Amino acid sequence: MNEDKFIQVNNLEKTYENGYQAIKSVSFSVKKGDLVCLLGPSGCGKTTTLNMIAGLLNPTGGDIIVNGKSLLNVAPKDRNIGYVFQNYALYPHMTVLQNVMFPMTVGKNKKPKDEAEKIAQKFMKLTHIEELADQKPGNLSGGQQQRVSIARALVQEPQILLMDEPLSNLDARLRLKIREEIRNLVKEVGITTLFVTHDQEEALSIGDKIILFHNGVIQQDDKGQDLYLEPNNQFVANFIGNPVIDNFDVKVTDKKISGTDFEIPVEKLDSTKFRGDLADGDYTLSIRPENLKLSDEGELSEVIDDVELIGRERVLKFTHAGTNQRALIDLEQEIKPGDSVKFKMNLDRVYLFKPDGERIY
Amino acid sequence: MKKKKLRWGMIFVYLFIGIFGIITVFPFIYMILGGLMSYQETTTIPPTLIPKTLRWSNYQKVFEQAPFARYFLNTFITAATTTIVTLFTSILGAFAMTNLKFKGKGFIQLIFLSLLMVPGEAIIFTNYNTIAHLGLLNTYLGLVLPFLTSIFYMYYLQSYFTAISPTIYKAAMIDGASDWEYIWKILVPMSKGGLITVALLSFISGWNSFLWPLLVTNEDKMRLLNNGLAAFASDAGAQTQLQLAAATLTVVPVLIVYFIFRKQIIRGVVRNDLKA
Repeated sequence: MNEDKFIQVNNLEKTYENGYQAIKSVSFSVKKGDLVCLLGPSGCGKTTTLNMIAGLLNPTGGDIIVNGKSLLNVAPKDRNIGYVFQNYALYPHMTVLQNVMFPMTVGKNKKPKDEAEKIAQKFMKLTHIEELADQKPGNLSGGQQQRVSIARALVQEPQILLMDEPLSNLDARLRLKIREEIRNLVKEVGITTLFVTHDQEEALSIGDKIILFHNGVIQQDDKGQDLYLEPNNQFVANFIGNPVIDNFDVKVTDKKISGTDFEIPVEKLDSTKFRGDLADGDYTLSIRPENLKLSDEGELSEVIDDVELIGRERVLKFTHAGTNQRALIDLEQEIKPGDSVKFKMNLDRVYLFKPDGERIY
Repeated sequence: MKKKKLRWGMIFVYLFIGIFGIITVFPFIYMILGGLMSYQETTTIPPTLIPKTLRWSNYQKVFEQAPFARYFLNTFITAATTTIVTLFTSILGAFAMTNLKFKGKGFIQLIFLSLLMVPGEAIIFTNYNTIAHLGLLNTYLGLVLPFLTSIFYMYYLQSYFTAISPTIYKAAMIDGASDWEYIWKILVPMSKGGLITVALLSFISGWNSFLWPLLVTNEDKMRLLNNGLAAFASDAGAQTQLQLAAATLTVVPVLIVYFIFRKQIIRGVVRNDLKA
């Protein structure tokens, strides 16, 4: 078995009976012990992919191989996976202890009661819910319920752990806390984990790697920082980053990139970073807000519409050629709405995308 | 001014409820009282309400004149059997309709729904023929066989089962539970209210059944309470006081069941146990 390809998903497809193609030939692999985030907007196919790995949905094409064995014809109960549901899916009529013990009281993995209780206690300790053993799920807070459901998922010591938006029902502060706990826990247990989320910040903070989905296709499968710094296409550039990336419509003619009220000679760009020939035509020039610097020699002359404080930075909002754009500057630089300023683009950090979204620079 | 209006309204409401309460309960109370009267008292005009002396001996006579103990036993056996088996088949059917995916499910559901609209009386003679051909007249099996499944109860339970989040079923699957284990360890305990309601309804309708047992039994030892009660009119002559005493006897078990399960009955109607 190849440790680097502990989970292998090959050309996975899912077409529903009504003809809707939710997943279009998705392939990726996951290293043993890694925590990988499946990220994307709602309806992008990330949960569908997770459910196919769990066996809750049948793929219409492709294969799923875990630890060298195809899972396709294996029933969910025999796949040896743990699954944490978005709404926790705890059994309301059972106590916390009974919930955590449940996987060891049914099916092939039935264990004697004492042994099951001992194992359950161990995982309840790990997730800090020992004192809740006799409570019913209805009396627990969201965070506590989530811990119970994680303990229940881990109790069979599955080969992979699947988590479907496990934090989305929690409030903001708790989300930060639990996501840290989850990362520490899965690393401590050493279990290979797939974590579905639509929250990029969550994915960037806990994922060893992020697989970004859109329209049933993987857009990019990379480390978090690469997703941010080297987006594969326009969608990735737009999706990752907060505040969102600035996009300018530009035309390339005679080795010049010209937008509304600004012009950049192509030779100023790093020629090694081109991914193809820059033919004349329409493009989108994208730049992250922090790469627009206040400077008297700037290419962009703008009037600030609005200023927003986010912690130690200021977001300057302005309108360029009818579209809203943003720049991120230090808190110390005092700019008020209505001020006229000039921005200089950090040309090492601009991207050029073709109209179909493909990145050319 | 407004307060006064409200009070008059309330008085009217209570009066209304009171009158209907009396109308509902009166025959019942009269049945109990009449069972303790003498024959003359039950037949005089104007009618007697309170018997002069309580004649408990009426009950003794009832047991002497007809094999009521046997009727009780028969009725209990048939009602209990139909209840247990109906619960079992309805649980399995409702589970399949809720959680399983199979070919022709929609079609089967359509057939079930249309069968639901056929009144039992419409098929009672074909059922009779079937039971007669099977040679099951005057047997317990013949008494219960047509009532061992119920589309209505299945649908009723289905409404409980569908209220349980489908992720609970998925979670159980991933936890390694088979469908069988899911049904008995999760579905059934989570739908207690609905199951008790079905059990009660089934038991009571089994206890009160009249037409079917009348058709498929003609031996005295196989009769059920209600048939026995009807036959009692001729067996005991026109002894109204004995008829009323016998009628009281037949409703007592149902009353006991109601009394024991009154909390669950109310819960079954309100269905607050599904909030989880």
